[in-house]
Amino acid sequence: MSTRSLNEIDLRSIYNHLEKLCRDCDKINSPACKESACLIGFGKRALRFSMQKGTLDIPGAKKLIPTQDVKTYYPETVAPGLAETCRQCRQCRDNHSPDCVIALTRTCLEYTTLSQEIDYPGSVFQYLIKVREQNQTLSELIAAAVKIKSDR
Amino acid sequence: MDGVMIVMGEAIFRQKNKQIAVNVVAACGFMTARQFAGLGKIAEELESGGLKMTTRQTVIVLLEENKLPAFKEGLPSLGLSISPFGDSVRAVKACSGNSELCPRAITDALNTGIEIQLKYLGQPVPSDFKIAVAGCPRGCTDPYCADFGIIGCGKDLYDIAIGGRGSSGSPLHGRKILEKCDQNTVFQVLDFVLDKYRTLAEPGERLCKTISRVGIEAFTPNFQLPEKNDVDEEFVAFLTSDE
Repeated sequence: MSTRSLNEIDLRSIYNHLEKLCRDCDKINSPACKESACLIGFGKRALRFSMQKGTLDIPGAKKLIPTQDVKTYYPETVAPGLAETCRQCRQCRDNHSPDCVIALTRTCLEYTTLSQEIDYPGSVFQYLIKVREQNQTLSELIAAAVKIKSDR
Repeated sequence: MDGVMIVMGEAIFRQKNKQIAVNVVAACGFMTARQFAGLGKIAEELESGGLKMTTRQTVIVLLEENKLPAFKEGLPSLGLSISPFGDSVRAVKACSGNSELCPRAITDALNTGIEIQLKYLGQPVPSDFKIAVAGCPRGCTDPYCADFGIIGCGKDLYDIAIGGRGSSGSPLHGRKILEKCDQNTVFQVLDFVLDKYRTLAEPGERLCKTISRVGIEAFTPNFQLPEKNDVDEEFVAFLTSDE
């Protein structure tokens, strides 16, 4: 049995960050807005599914991430959401699942700004190092956002 | 809790303090409140020396030996029984992964374990045969330490590992023989492995020893597994609904 319950993980706080990204999107409230074809929309659907079902893992969901979404996103807007996934991550290390809803959302957000997907190393610190290898600015923004929230 | 077995085939052992330890099996460790309270009530009435949870998700009840008949009499009405011991299929371990419990589970491990236990518990085999079912690759029930380990890998999909041995001075991890089997296939593979084990093993030989002697290929079924979609269909439907 998992050592942490779903109740201890605040999926809503991740969802709220994705909602902010949607509000700035040109396609919002238009027929062109299709969540299944959008990285942010996919993340939101996965989170809603997880919250409704009370489950953390969605088998096979990683394969469905719409990597063909090439809308423009900026590190400044994506970093707070990535930081929130870091905060909510239980750092499962050897037991990390790419189909965990937190990992799914993080992967979606990575695809918006990074050229290569990150094989999650199991801890936030190691993750930031891996992000830095691709995008130093993003890594610093995530680290700062994690710290600001932790200091509150 | 071990000791001298006092009833052949049943997990009842004399302890150092002369009491007997009676091993009670439930549905892969899952009990209703009525069962739990009922067991406690009987144990209290019979002045039990205590109860102890086991690593196989069974419960040991300590009793004076002359209380055993009364204790046995009380178990059937609670839907509980005494666990088998010796050269037989032992109590099945399963995690709490199902549609209602552990949020990490990706398949129904608990009910699969219960169904396996209902069918195979106590069946004779050359040596003890332990089965463990886990609802996700985290493997809380140590499936790689079981003779037959079942590991959830998708919705109604399981990997199967055989030849593990946990409680031993020479522990061994089982080896994966099949991937992405549905529940029906798990039962077919278990029948196959048990049949081969009964045929190939020497008396008293644990499965891991038989495997090291004759090779794991003899225990690897050549089933044509149907192509399985390991994506959660319910999520797929949810993903595109109202678009």
